[in-house]
Amino acid sequence: MKRKFFKSIIIAAGGLLVFAACSKSFLETDPTGTPVENNYYRNETEAFKGLVAVYDVLGWQGNAYITKTGMADAASDDHYAGGGSSTDVSGLQVMSNYTVDAATGPSAELWQKGYAGVFRANLLMEKLPNVPMDENKKKRFVAECKVLRAYFYFDLVRLFKNIPLITKTLATSEFNTVEQADPAQVWALIEKDLTEAIAETQLPDKLAGSETGRMNKGIAHALLGKVYLWEKKYAEAAAQFELVNGIPGASNAYGYSLLSNYADLWKFTNKFNSESIFEISFSSLSGGTWDCTSCTEGNVLNVMVGPRGYSPTPGAPDYYSGWSFLPVTQSLFDALHFDPRFNATIINLDSLEKNGIAKYEKGYMNTGYFLAKFAAKNSDRTTGGGNVELNFGQNLYEIRLADSYLMEAEALVRAGGGTEAGSRAYTLLNAVRARVGLNPVSATIDNIMKERRLELAGEGHRWFDLVRTGDAATVLASKGFKAGRNEILPIPLQELENTKIQQNKEYGGTK
Amino acid sequence: MKLTAFLLLAACLHISAKGLSQQITLSEKGAPLKKVLREVARQAGISVVYDEAQLAATYPVTISVKNVSVQTALDKALAGQPFSYKVEGSRITLVKASSVNTAAADSSITVTGKVVDEKGDPIPGATIRVQGTSTGTATDANGHFSIKVPSPKSQLAFSFIGYNQQVLQASANPMTVKLALSSTSLTETVVVGYGVQKKSVVTGSISSIKSTEFENQPVTRVEQVLQGRTSGVTVVASSGQPGSASSVRIRGNTSFNNNDPLWVVDGVVVDNGGVSYLNQSDIESMEVLKDAASAAIYGTRAANGVILITTKKGKEGKLRVNYNGYVGTSAPARKLNLLNATEYATLINEGLVADGKAPKYANPAALGEGTDWQDLIFNNHAFRQNHEISLSGGNDRSTFYTSFGLMKQDGIVATDISKYQRATYRINSTHKIAKWLTFGENLSYAYEKNSGLGNTNSEFGGPLSSAINLDPITPAVVYDKTVAANAPYTNTGVVRDASGNPYGISDAVKQEITNPLAYIQTRLGNYNYSHNLVGNAYLEAEPIAGLKLRSTFGGKMAFYGSDNFVPVYYLNSSTTNTRTSFTRDQNNNRSWNLENTISYSRTINKHDFSVLVGQGAYMDGYLQNTNVAYFGIPASTFKEASLNYKIANTNKTASGKDGLLHTVASYFGRLNYNYAEKYLVTGIIRRDGSSRFPTDRKYGVFPSVSLGWVPTKEEFFPENNVIDFLKIRGGYGSVGNDYIVDNGALNEHGYLSTIGDGRNYTIGGEILVGNSPNAPANVLLHWEETHQTNIGFDLAFLKHFNFTFDWFNKKTVGILMNPRVPTYTGSFSNPPANVADNQNRGIDMELGYHGKIGEVQLNVNGNASYVKNKSLYLGDGVGYITTNQQNFQSSTYPITRTVLGYPLNAFYGFKTAGIFQNQAEVDAYVDGKGNKIQPNARPGDFRWVDTNGDGAITEADRQVLGNPMPTWTYGLNISATYKNFDINLFAQGAGGNKIFQGLRRLDIKEANMQNKALGRWTGEGTSNTYPRMTLDDPNRNYSNPSDFYLEDGDYLRLKVLQIGYTLSNNVLKRIGAQRLRVFVTGENLFTFTKYTGFDPEIGGTVSSIDRGIYPQARSYMFGLNVTF
Repeated sequence: MKRKFFKSIIIAAGGLLVFAACSKSFLETDPTGTPVENNYYRNETEAFKGLVAVYDVLGWQGNAYITKTGMADAASDDHYAGGGSSTDVSGLQVMSNYTVDAATGPSAELWQKGYAGVFRANLLMEKLPNVPMDENKKKRFVAECKVLRAYFYFDLVRLFKNIPLITKTLATSEFNTVEQADPAQVWALIEKDLTEAIAETQLPDKLAGSETGRMNKGIAHALLGKVYLWEKKYAEAAAQFELVNGIPGASNAYGYSLLSNYADLWKFTNKFNSESIFEISFSSLSGGTWDCTSCTEGNVLNVMVGPRGYSPTPGAPDYYSGWSFLPVTQSLFDALHFDPRFNATIINLDSLEKNGIAKYEKGYMNTGYFLAKFAAKNSDRTTGGGNVELNFGQNLYEIRLADSYLMEAEALVRAGGGTEAGSRAYTLLNAVRARVGLNPVSATIDNIMKERRLELAGEGHRWFDLVRTGDAATVLASKGFKAGRNEILPIPLQELENTKIQQNKEYGGTK
Repeated sequence: MKLTAFLLLAACLHISAKGLSQQITLSEKGAPLKKVLREVARQAGISVVYDEAQLAATYPVTISVKNVSVQTALDKALAGQPFSYKVEGSRITLVKASSVNTAAADSSITVTGKVVDEKGDPIPGATIRVQGTSTGTATDANGHFSIKVPSPKSQLAFSFIGYNQQVLQASANPMTVKLALSSTSLTETVVVGYGVQKKSVVTGSISSIKSTEFENQPVTRVEQVLQGRTSGVTVVASSGQPGSASSVRIRGNTSFNNNDPLWVVDGVVVDNGGVSYLNQSDIESMEVLKDAASAAIYGTRAANGVILITTKKGKEGKLRVNYNGYVGTSAPARKLNLLNATEYATLINEGLVADGKAPKYANPAALGEGTDWQDLIFNNHAFRQNHEISLSGGNDRSTFYTSFGLMKQDGIVATDISKYQRATYRINSTHKIAKWLTFGENLSYAYEKNSGLGNTNSEFGGPLSSAINLDPITPAVVYDKTVAANAPYTNTGVVRDASGNPYGISDAVKQEITNPLAYIQTRLGNYNYSHNLVGNAYLEAEPIAGLKLRSTFGGKMAFYGSDNFVPVYYLNSSTTNTRTSFTRDQNNNRSWNLENTISYSRTINKHDFSVLVGQGAYMDGYLQNTNVAYFGIPASTFKEASLNYKIANTNKTASGKDGLLHTVASYFGRLNYNYAEKYLVTGIIRRDGSSRFPTDRKYGVFPSVSLGWVPTKEEFFPENNVIDFLKIRGGYGSVGNDYIVDNGALNEHGYLSTIGDGRNYTIGGEILVGNSPNAPANVLLHWEETHQTNIGFDLAFLKHFNFTFDWFNKKTVGILMNPRVPTYTGSFSNPPANVADNQNRGIDMELGYHGKIGEVQLNVNGNASYVKNKSLYLGDGVGYITTNQQNFQSSTYPITRTVLGYPLNAFYGFKTAGIFQNQAEVDAYVDGKGNKIQPNARPGDFRWVDTNGDGAITEADRQVLGNPMPTWTYGLNISATYKNFDINLFAQGAGGNKIFQGLRRLDIKEANMQNKALGRWTGEGTSNTYPRMTLDDPNRNYSNPSDFYLEDGDYLRLKVLQIGYTLSNNVLKRIGAQRLRVFVTGENLFTFTKYTGFDPEIGGTVSSIDRGIYPQARSYMFGLNVTF
């Protein structure tokens, strides 16, 4: 027995020792399937995945169905927020009735989107010098990052005005010490980023095939033009647009041309067509489900704007029943009613129902008119997996040629250029009108802005135009817009928690 | 009587000049006769001669004499003893009295017999003692004994640890002595982790529940056993759905992450929520280690306390077969009082008119009662049954216990989609390989299958929420053919009853609120399942007495998943599904642990000590998950759904997940020491390493020490009939937590900056995968620690009572959480960090009575606990945090917030100060400068408290409104036995908390209301608590989260009332049974509460938020226990 006893002691002690010896590695577990940052960005493939992550932010939708386009539409005189009730997607509702404050509204989502993009661009630009890969490709990646960063900052500064200017990744110790920059510095960085990208020979002029969706020189020029327009640097703006627009209605350096049929712009399959300059990609094939609405690559606007409870009779237009957001106001309806672009822009369900062609359910703030440009048809349903609602794949135009024509025309006129036949502004404006068969008119600011409203209806430009031109206070007064407040959004409340960020004066803060 | 019988011992003290004339002074209490004799001999200087063996049969002596003669002293000492004495010079010889008084030479007899427990099982090792002597013996392995007693009139005392002592007169016939379990007894043992300890020497705070307390109770999951039966434990059911888990909190919420206690079943750490596989009849005891000094032995994950479960083992002896079972029916205990159609239409009209609109319903009175949606989904006859059969037995080498269990329970809400069933099998066995070597194993398998409503305690649909919110005007089924032929009933996917009539679709109440009957049809057949295999095996060697070496390997394998089919449906315009889908989710989860311990215990004189050292290794998180979904399969019901359909690959989605391993390596030691069970010391130290921390910070050391003192054992403690036993104890220790949750998922590598994927974008028509960092690394991450002081006492008094009291102060520091980092950093998620401190202070009390009143055997146990939670620190300069913040519907503001100095996740919102009765009151409500605070309010609107006094009602006026966590919990268990009848009453309650009564959807203006809305404000003086009817609600009377929605959560529930009858032996013998008991049980018979919802017991991440909780059922059951 004694011997057995010692044997077991030795075995037990041995066991303990063996265990102690390997316990160090026992406690080091692998983050399986998730690389560690320090070991990442080792080659071109990984650097490219980092670049895709920057692009990802373009299609950012968050979990609350907040998009820049949806927010701007709801805030404009062309749409109401709509939806199922007065609190359905509250971020849109408070923009529509101008009760937005720091706690409620689209601020948190749009702020986070912008800075996620800035961070990913900053990070990749810091990592790239140490990635062993083709130097020319590196230069191209950097130029793309700069265009994207400029785009993110452009939206941030337009929407929030007083924002932190972050141009490198922050150390943990700096997280709570960041302060807001003078907006002029932000505008300067945007110009600098775009100018540098344009100067980079590795940034392609145009893209085709497997590269569509990436940044190119055409986008950089158009975006810079738009930035100048916002800064009221009209001559500089016009110069940039001229590079993009070339000879209106004929040709330009980047191969852009207006589509002959306006309605073709809204076919979900008609992606990256010749009129498209800066287009944001979506896909119907990512299999998005309700488990994570922010994970889908589908475009949520498509189901959001569709008529609610749509029940057609045979022969009625084929729409997918949606959630009745962004119903069209009577004002836009009247403005477009006899315009050739009407049918491509507005679904008149009111009339369809009156004529017994289709029925639908009246959602919140129902007008009977819906936004046809984004409304999904049954034929647009995904052929892949996932919930149908979350997997419509229409792309969105950030800047298209007609927009660019009109912006150049505006810049030219505001810079003192001519408005009548023979002037470039006149040619640009009427190229847009001629495409839909409208007679030429003189290129007065009024006419240009009116054309912008009709041509670009529902595309998220109207509200920004009204703010930019200072017309918002009068045009939107009936919706509750307050001058000196609603031109910008409040800094999201949570961002003020334990940071040096101060709320904008417009929202009771000190900035 | 062998050698010693002739060995005469003489105490010879040759001190001259003394002798029989010597004056003796003596004072002894209960001293052995031998001691008294020796003292007399010493003082008198004489010799006393006696036969030591015979002296064993004497009684203890209590004597108090002063200056008396030797004879007087001896006479007194020997009074009543079976001895007399002879004086021979200076020598005194003791003589057996019998030889003097009677002629009989030897009246001693040999008594044989058997000692058994209440169930007739032999008790090995029970002690039999001849009263008043030190003669004794013990039962053998089969409970048999044999003892020689001095006379047939000798009294024999039978005792065994944990049982009540029995004193019986010796009998010449073989005796069968039945010992009853003692529930008071301080001789009880408790499981303390890696061993057992006598309760009388325990220094920590441990509550123990034995199987007898819950054996026949209707318990679906083991957590429910703890509810109301122990102090310091708060158990809140998260749903009345059969089989759903309860949240268990020991002494309050300590952390932001995980507040679940550590479950250890037969020494195997079982991960959270994973105890549903246990069958209640298999449980021998449950111990709750509440204070740090007890829990420290499980250092790492013991911050929330430890619950030790010991399952039953076989006993030597004949095979025993036991059947326990019951069948019964359940019904909802309470129905909400909702408006009927007439009342509803009246109030909606009133609201519309108040908003300046036309009334909607022309003639409310014509609408009558309307549809009672609750009646349509409630089942008043939900069937439930439970059957358990166990076999146990063994011999001196091997014992076994094996059991089968089957439970089926139907839910009381929408029974078609609310069911639970469980089948369990267990085998526990031990084998003595050699005298010094034992091998044992505990193995259990359980299969569970359940169907759930899919949406419980959620304001977003589900049958309960829908039944509460749907207007009573919409018919359940549309029988009118013309209505059914029109929209919306023309939509594809409209759900119909068996006769083809569509289920009514509400025109007034939409969004996620749908006809519950139609909703049920869309979920038929869907289910979740799990297979759990949990077990351990151990080898224990005891090479020399007191030294034990033990190796245990335990593990858990869980296979679980679900099958879900979603048909094409149209429930209302916003709740539709336009193509079918079938999703199968499968998971395979494994964990294991290995522990090696060496313990040694020894008693040297009155010094009793035991030492334990050990080592453990634990691994969990090994998960493999696959999830496949087929879209657009040509099936219309769950039965038809299958993955066999060959659909296009593009219509299939697949996802999966590999778990990240979590490992812990530990070394631990414990020292228990007591001196004469009077002075008690326990010291524990444990060092744990966790994979969740950076290399240089993996280990944490968790020490604890506790002391105890038993004054009743002191010489100086006055003899009395009041206090039988008193132990005062106190301890301090620390335990740790490595559990970090981020967005509901465990964060295994918070100390690393990892690269996440899914940052995808479509380029060139292809979805490309993008990668970017998740969150910055926190290289300083370390253990969260909970320090706890516990002071308490155990008291046994008046023979039948016992009382335990504990005061504790529990402080958690460096709470692991993911403090929000500003989003301008671009961080995808928030890195974990050690921030925040939190405190729980409180008391636990338990009072018991065990005794006999006449022929009634009565046991009463009551307990009450109080805990006060407070956040002490939330980061430098941080006044509040929003982690786990709860939102309600589309309310603008969250309804909870963790504010410094208040309880975690306290209710947060606006405070009301009555209702404006008239315009003058509105105008008079002004700030310091005379400006109206609510200029737009109308009579009948709430007066909001302007907390910050800025003259306007803004978000800054919100304040802490109440605590969602009950501060008081209590329970009362009474059981009485009279002849063959027994009765058991168990009541339990909680209070001190507020409940957010969020049953009504605020964003659906025309949602139905409870009938307390009839008491709304309708004019001056009509109400000061319920505001006027309005649908637009400009003053936000209804849409502001405020104290309007808070109600007291206090309740007292008669949980169980059971009456049983045990059949007499004669009847039983005919069927070959040993014992047969029949019983009837009522569960949840009464709930006393002022709360107006279904049920005041509401669990969840943050408890007490009622979004339409699945209520607890009231059940009646008939049951049977048979032992063969």
